[in-house]
This record gives sequence, C-alpha cells and structure tokens, in this order.
Amino acid sequence: MQRSDDDHAIVVEGLVRTYPGGLTAVDGVDLAVAPGEIYGFLGPNGAGKTTTVRILTTLLRPTAGRALVAGHDVVGDAAGVRRSIGVALQEAALDPLMTGRELLALQGALHGLRRGEAQARGSELLGRVELDDAADRRLGTYSGGMRRRLDLALALVPRPRVLFLDEPTTGLDPASRAALWREVRRLNDDGTTVFLTTQYLEEAEQLADRVGIIARGKIVAEGTPDALKERLGEPTLHVDLCDDGRLEQARGLLERFGAVSDGRAGGLAVRTPDGARAIAPVVRALDDAGIDIETVEVEEPTLDDVFLAVTGQPTSSEDTADVPA
Amino acid sequence: MSSLEVGVQARVVGALAFRALLIQTRKAQLLIPTFLLPMVLFAVVANGASAGSRLRGFPDIGSFVGFIIPGTLVQGTLLAGMTAGIALAGDIEGGFFDRLLTAPVRRVSLVLGRLVGTAVLAIVQASFFLLIAFIAGARYEGGVGGVLLTILLAAITAVGTGGLAAAIALRTGSLSLLQSLFPLVFVLLFTAPAFFPRDLLHPALRAVAEYNPLAYIVEGMRAALHADASLGSTTNGLLAAVALAIGATALSVLAIYRRTATL
Repeated sequence: MQRSDDDHAIVVEGLVRTYPGGLTAVDGVDLAVAPGEIYGFLGPNGAGKTTTVRILTTLLRPTAGRALVAGHDVVGDAAGVRRSIGVALQEAALDPLMTGRELLALQGALHGLRRGEAQARGSELLGRVELDDAADRRLGTYSGGMRRRLDLALALVPRPRVLFLDEPTTGLDPASRAALWREVRRLNDDGTTVFLTTQYLEEAEQLADRVGIIARGKIVAEGTPDALKERLGEPTLHVDLCDDGRLEQARGLLERFGAVSDGRAGGLAVRTPDGARAIAPVVRALDDAGIDIETVEVEEPTLDDVFLAVTGQPTSSEDTADVPA
Repeated sequence: MSSLEVGVQARVVGALAFRALLIQTRKAQLLIPTFLLPMVLFAVVANGASAGSRLRGFPDIGSFVGFIIPGTLVQGTLLAGMTAGIALAGDIEGGFFDRLLTAPVRRVSLVLGRLVGTAVLAIVQASFFLLIAFIAGARYEGGVGGVLLTILLAAITAVGTGGLAAAIALRTGSLSLLQSLFPLVFVLLFTAPAFFPRDLLHPALRAVAEYNPLAYIVEGMRAALHADASLGSTTNGLLAAVALAIGATALSVLAIYRRTATL
C-alpha cells in the first residue's frame, strides 16, 4: 500500500539548495523515510549530506522543493519540526565550560520542561549513556567518545520522533563506536526513526535498514544494503602471484576480465561481474603465460564497492561539512 | 501567545540568562574585562586625576571617587555588553548556537536570554563597584533609593550595550570583529563626561557628548547617587538608558530574525 506524506517520518521532494555565490549543494533530492526506520545517508565530501540535514533540521532554508519531517513542513511549520526532532550535529558543539548535567538541564528548559522535570530527564539520560560519573565535570575534560554520548543524550531530551545523527561516530575508537551503535539500535527498537549520515559504510551496513547515496547533490542510489550490493556491486578476484616480478605482465593479461587494481599484499585485484565464474579463465590465462599463481580468492561485493561504483570515489577520505565557508 | 507559552518562554529566557552568567564567571577572558578593567581605570583616575577636582567649576561633592564612580559603572556596562556579544559570536562560530536554533524556542527568547543575563551581570557589577567606591571614601547622599536607581540605570544601560553587541554578533557571526571593537568602549566612555564634568571637557568633546547617550546616563547616575540635580538629570538618564535599551533590543531581535530567515 502506498504511504501518504503524513505516514512518513521524512518526505523530501525536489529539494534544491543553492548558496549565495551560485554553488548548488543539493540539486533535486527526493527521498522518503518510514516511521521506525534507520536511514543511512552516505556521500563523499561536499556531496550535499550536511546541507540536506541542515535543511531537514530547519537550520537552512531550501531554495526549491519541499521537505516534511514528522508531518511538518520545514519552512511552513519549522516550529512543528523542532518539536518533533532530536539533533546531534557533526562536530558536537558542546560548551566546554558547562558540565554535562548543566547542559542537559538547559536542553530540558529549551524543550519546555520545568526545572525538576529537566533535572530528572537529565539524570535518566546520563545513566542511559553511561556518563553518571562524569555528569558534574566540565565538558572540556570529556573524551571524544564521551562528548558524542552526551550529544546523543542531549538529542534525546525531548523524546524525539525523528532523530538526526550527523556522523555520530567520526573520530571515535572502535569500543566507543560499538557502544553508540548499541544505543542507536536500542532507540530504534523503541520506535524512534533515525536519519543517520555517516562516512563509515560499515556503520551504514550495521545500522541502516535502507541507504541513500548522494553525489554532487543528487541521490544516485537507494535501497537496502543487500539490494544495493546485489544490484551495483561487483565481486573482486584477489590474485597473488608466486613471482612478484611478473606482476605487470599479469596485470595486462587480466585487464580483459575487468578493472584491475593493486590488491592485498602486493597481489592484483580484478573487479568482475562474473565473480567465481571468472576463476577458471583467469587461472588458464595466467597459466598459458607461464605465470605461477599462489592463491586466487573471491570477495563478495561490499557497500564500499557500491559507493565507488555510484560516486566514482572511494570512502577513505575524511568527510567534512559541505556548507561553503 | 497563551499564558502557558509565555511561561515556557520565560523559563527559556531564565535558563539562557543563567547559562550566560555561568559562562561569564567561568571564563577569565570574559570575567576579567567586566570586573578588573573598570577597577583598574577607577584606581588610575582616582589616584592620577584627583587634582582635577580642585579646578574651578568642578562640583564639590565631598570626594573625587564619589564623582567618578558613575563613569566606572558605565564602563562596566559597556564591557558587560561587549563580552555578551563576544560570547554570542563564540557560540555562533563554535556551533553551539545551532543547538539553540534547532530547539522549539522563539528567536526573540534566544536574544532576551542573553540580554537578561547581561542585565543581571550589570547589577552585580554595579553593586560591587559602588561598594568598592564606598570603601574608598565615596558617600551617597541619595541614600538607598539613589543607589538602587543607579543600579537600575546600569542594568538598563547594559541591556542597551549588550543588545548592540548582540546585533553585531548576529549580523556578522564574527568573534574577531567583536574583539576588534573593544577599543570603542573607551571612545564612548571618554566622549561622555565619565570622569570630569561636562563643562570642563574640551569644547569638541563637549559637542560630541551632546549626542552620546552615555553622557546623560552617567550624569543621571551622579544626580541619583548624590541627590544633586546640578550634577545631571535622573529623568534624562533614565530616558537615554531606556531608549538605548529599546533600540538595541529591537536591533538584535531584527538581527536574529534576519539571520535565521536568510540562512
């Protein structure tokens, strides 16, 4: 059954944002996020991710198109949007001179809670993100992981229907990242819709029900991680040779099977739609040329492959805000 | 706006004012200018220029420090306002202001929270400066009423100076621009009869003082503190302070709506 706009947590239609100076950061984005869904929003540097999030959280106005969040128009009913969302923006902007408890109390007041209510909610959330012991320390003394956890707690103060997490684990160590993922899953289990921008494809694979990939201001791929991998990813054959001196000769021979690049441990990697079916012809071609093979291994496509295929860029680069300075 | 909504917005203003004061007390970069600088200038003028009180035409009010303390209070309000603008520009540059903008809060409350915090700071400042001057020998013939009126004038003036600085911060979002405007405090101060009677100022300065609202405010404080209408007009002082506060608040409210409407 087709959902109406009001049934969706987020609806974006023909969204355009052109900055003064002419840069069009978002160029006709359409997307829809169902209630209770975790939507992973991926894209390379300057693709339009942060601009889209800033429009959806009412921090920027669109140049054209429309966006509804929790049924409220981001321009016509920005106050309604703000009452429905929780926001943890990139580079958590936390006042280093305040304590975690003080900032949560302020956030409570900003969301209309009375002093006692705000304090109780703050204490509850400090426990939830495991920051009780650091609650009365100034934020300047918090580690990156603690700051991110507090930022999440702040976003949860109003019990949001839609939670925006803009690169929530950038710069975190694996343990802190895993802890934050657990919390996001828990929130989602409670029914919160999550709009997650991330530069980590693993994060999107772990958390997102669906993924949208944006490049040059347009959505270039959208679907479940598995569907995207099936549709757009290509398996990779990793070929390791006995004699590294024959590497360039082998590269030339393998180019007819697919795109060849440097592989792991000095071998070659061949991206080919034939996958395992290409093993026999590859082995035969190298054997005919007298090149000995140490190992051949097939790697199934990853979301990285999908990302590379649709954006033309790898995901290793540090992502930054796409708002012009 | 319903009474419930008014209550919510009042809580928001209170919470933001509390935060503004909290940060002010925890950041030396903000605290030192607002308390130490006026005290340093007060000490310098009190010790270095007291001979001026023997000039013909200098009002005889018993103590030179009693005459100059309104200038210190006005300097305090200028610095309180300037640091409020600096703190706001820091919030904008650092991204904290975005956190406030994503909350379901009226834009006017975001400005008023900052200005109420500045007014409370000015009340604390003025009380402290008046106490120091009293210890240094100043006497306030206007009594408790005169002192309270002076403190009220300082609070209203701080809303004005804070509003102007907030408007600049909101229009430019530039911390360095606000910091570069610091010397303006002294220009405004010395083009008002802060430490000398208007009649003894250089004619050029006297002409400028005519158009400087701080001149009327400092003279109004002097008249209130010493219950002496020859030192100035408390009514004119109040009118100047209120006009400055209303104008500056309007400018800062316009600035926040303009900022958010054009983002």
